Amino acid sequence: MSTVRASARWIKADLRARRGQALLAVLAVAGIVTALITSATLLEDSTNPWRGLFTQTDGAHVWIHAKQSPDPAGLAALPGVTGVAGPYRSAPVTLAQDGRKAPVALRALPVDPPEIAHPVVREGRWLDRADLDGVVVERSFARASGLRLGSPFTVTALNGTRHVLAVAGIAETAEQGFYPEWTPGLAWALPETLDRVEPAVGLSESVIGLRLDDPEATRLVVQGAVTLLDERIQRISTWREVRASMELDNRLLGLLLALFGVVGLIAAALAIANVVGGRVLTQSRDFATLKSLGLTRGQVMGMLLVEHGSLGLAGVGAGLVCGQFVTMLALDGGAGLPLSPMPTAAIAVGTAAVVLVAVALPAWRGGRTPPIPAAPAMPPRGHLSRMARLALLVRLPPALVLGARDAFTRRLPAFLTTFGVAVPMMMITIGLGCWATLDNFLSHPEQVGQAAALTVKPGRLPASDAERLIRADPGVTAFYPGTEVDALEPEQTRTVPARAIGTSAEPYPFVVVDGRGYAERGEAVAGQGLLDLLEVEIGDRVRVTVGGTPLILRIVGRVVEPDKDGEVLSFGIDSLSAKDALPPEFYSLVVKPGVDAEEVRTRLLAASGQNLEVARVVNPAERLAVIRVVIVALVVVLALIGLANLLTASALGLRDHALDLAVLKAMGLTPRQVAATLVTGTGVLVVIGVVTGVLAGASLSNGIINLQGHTSGVGAGIARAPSAVTLLVAVLVAVGAALLVALIPARRAARARVPVAIR
Amino acid sequence: MTPKQLSTVIKTVNLGKIYQQGAVPVPAVRGVDLEIGAGEFVAVTGPSGSGKSTLVHMLGGLDKPSSGEIWLDGRRVDTLRESAWALLRRKKIGFVFQFFNLVANMTVADNVELPALLAGSSPKEARARREYLLDALGLTERSDAPPSQLSGGEQQRVALARALSNRPSLLLADEPTGNLDSRNTRDVLRLLGEVHRDGQTIVLVTHEARVASLADRVVSLLDGQVIDDGTIAVPRRRSRGGAGDVVELR
Repeated sequence: MSTVRASARWIKADLRARRGQALLAVLAVAGIVTALITSATLLEDSTNPWRGLFTQTDGAHVWIHAKQSPDPAGLAALPGVTGVAGPYRSAPVTLAQDGRKAPVALRALPVDPPEIAHPVVREGRWLDRADLDGVVVERSFARASGLRLGSPFTVTALNGTRHVLAVAGIAETAEQGFYPEWTPGLAWALPETLDRVEPAVGLSESVIGLRLDDPEATRLVVQGAVTLLDERIQRISTWREVRASMELDNRLLGLLLALFGVVGLIAAALAIANVVGGRVLTQSRDFATLKSLGLTRGQVMGMLLVEHGSLGLAGVGAGLVCGQFVTMLALDGGAGLPLSPMPTAAIAVGTAAVVLVAVALPAWRGGRTPPIPAAPAMPPRGHLSRMARLALLVRLPPALVLGARDAFTRRLPAFLTTFGVAVPMMMITIGLGCWATLDNFLSHPEQVGQAAALTVKPGRLPASDAERLIRADPGVTAFYPGTEVDALEPEQTRTVPARAIGTSAEPYPFVVVDGRGYAERGEAVAGQGLLDLLEVEIGDRVRVTVGGTPLILRIVGRVVEPDKDGEVLSFGIDSLSAKDALPPEFYSLVVKPGVDAEEVRTRLLAASGQNLEVARVVNPAERLAVIRVVIVALVVVLALIGLANLLTASALGLRDHALDLAVLKAMGLTPRQVAATLVTGTGVLVVIGVVTGVLAGASLSNGIINLQGHTSGVGAGIARAPSAVTLLVAVLVAVGAALLVALIPARRAARARVPVAIR
Repeated sequence: MTPKQLSTVIKTVNLGKIYQQGAVPVPAVRGVDLEIGAGEFVAVTGPSGSGKSTLVHMLGGLDKPSSGEIWLDGRRVDTLRESAWALLRRKKIGFVFQFFNLVANMTVADNVELPALLAGSSPKEARARREYLLDALGLTERSDAPPSQLSGGEQQRVALARALSNRPSLLLADEPTGNLDSRNTRDVLRLLGEVHRDGQTIVLVTHEARVASLADRVVSLLDGQVIDDGTIAVPRRRSRGGAGDVVELR
């Protein structure tokens, strides 16, 4: 008890004496924990809105789109199927809004929401017989199209008739991914309404959902359904695809954050060890005094552990709170569930353990301080370092020489300082690399597989007219006819998007990373996602079925594929049979450099009398904009860590030189020169650390970003290193800030009149 | 009042300390036999390097002897481990150092209360003891100041208050005036004389004969060995006390 009281006094006094440093430590740990929690939340399945939605809607695992109404009883009888949703009639219509046209699947659902796969209404109400013009729109589609409750919902059926409906409700479903990643958009209407909009049954499809007792048995059930329905199947989607499409953004972000978080944790551990170690060194006299007063070795160590450990734990606590908060913001209060207790506990315990280990070592050293306070602290070994000899050789000013000498007198702290600055700097450089990559996405979309800035759909115009109009536009360099089709994958269990674009003679300018572009009929290129999905390599042949026609394609190259998780197969339109290829569904337009795509769009719309449908291609970087916020936040946290290291380094430098200061002044150095000596001592280490960090970061960043590209399906080859100017500015800012931070205590010490030797 | 009549506070038997300097053993203290009774005021003098500080550090357990025995209050203590020594110091020993060695982060009041708390006093008792000591040393109004704002003399007075805060049976003072001007030296010595009159056993290390002359008994060391151990019998001075001592000292 007596020890506890005495230790508590000391801890309180010490914390009061260094509030700023203590706060910095708490902030750094809190920042790291926040990053880790956020990344874990984003990475964890539970944040994927799919799981929540699937549970809420009692969703179906498999959705089958067929030509004629299939027999639900037959499907329900398949082994493993526990329930059937539908069949529902679904008609392709076009939503015209603000001059834009978007394809929509208008699906007939009954007034009473079905038991299985019932959409959950978020706003407004469900369909009602009293309001036959009311439709319920899927939420992501409503958001992307700017539809609100009561908005007019003007659709054009395939036969060209226009119908003005109105949005009565907005609902969510787990049967398809979010718009625009997943098209077409989805809207529900009553069967009577659908019959009015699209009377021709032959022009609509039938959609049926199967709920399984074991989600893992999806493949078997799908095979069973394919055998049963055979030719009638148009498209099949499974819960895995829906889930994957919903998680794309979160995953990439989560990976990035996890990377920053883990390396940040290492950096923080180093920083804490360094800060506590430095603190212990500067306080060794006090520990000696305390021991002479009767504190044992263990008690000194315990005291240090409690003081610094509790700061770390406070940081962990603050980080947990911040993490929850940030996650809530990041998920936009959406369908994501909060992080489950296990990973949260793992992060909290893990970080706390790292903090305690980082604190324990210096604390142990503090406990071993000999109890004779009169004995001066170990004087630094004063041999002239190589740096100093070099400095002498080139006749640098004395302050610089002395500073350079001091920098390396204590090898371990010098190393820790350098390392402690280098690690955050490395991470900052990697962050800048991510930034540069995003910039490159935006400024050079052609380098990430988005050569075309505009997509033109002929709409009601014949293909020849559309081509004539496009060719006539002065802003267009090239255009490629294309068609997107669904290709049934080899085992016929699901479909992959296939893009027929360009011709073998005039291929679409893909960014081919491995292999080569397609140049003949029967050759194709694919994104990383597709290669992983089908487990094929470049040079392999794949057999797919497009519109009932078997097609054998040889994959000759891997391209950067930002769409659909990279699960896209691309080939020349001439590889398709004529019935599937003509007329082209759309034209991809490459705009002349320097010409605004919006201008071309307006011109084309005007020239065609609004008959062409012209859409701008969505750049993937626009979806990833939040990464920039993350990068900025992490740079701040890392800068804090570096700063903590630096403060320690300069405090240590001061302590080591306290004895010298009087001598230096006696030798005739002005206060300014004394300050310069001290600043140089830390400055040399900082410069080495910063430069090492930047070099390491620059060499690692491409690899890491490409790895992320690979995992997200886009594929390696997207990474761009930050420009030399950016790096130079980063180095200068870091070194400048470091010197400023080192200057304040140095000036104070240099001006102090009291001989610091006797504290 | 001769030492033999008093109960022995600390006793050393053939105490020795050898430092290793590289491969060369350097003896600092050689075969010191010393017996100090309760209430005695002993000055240990000698030129620098004669082993005075080492001796007093060993008496307080800050340094481990290489040979010999130390008995404190009738108990052999040289065999104790570092932590056992620490626990012993809390109750029985107070230290005053040449460079004051106040804990820099703590206020004067906290510095003085710390040993009392360690010795097991309640916060209330520690506070009362601190108020009494600081009042006696004329430092009451500085009790909330950090040590760095105090003059050298004030710091040493605080250090003395701290050393007395746990009511030690033995007060060890290692060159307490070595860093002070003559006026502060006078003050500190007056205080030491006062606590001695209250019955405090004191071992004072000094190289100044003038300071040593304040003690009852002077032990002279040279090259680590006791060359002289004599009692100064000046009963007149003790009985009168007060400022007169100082006047005579000058």
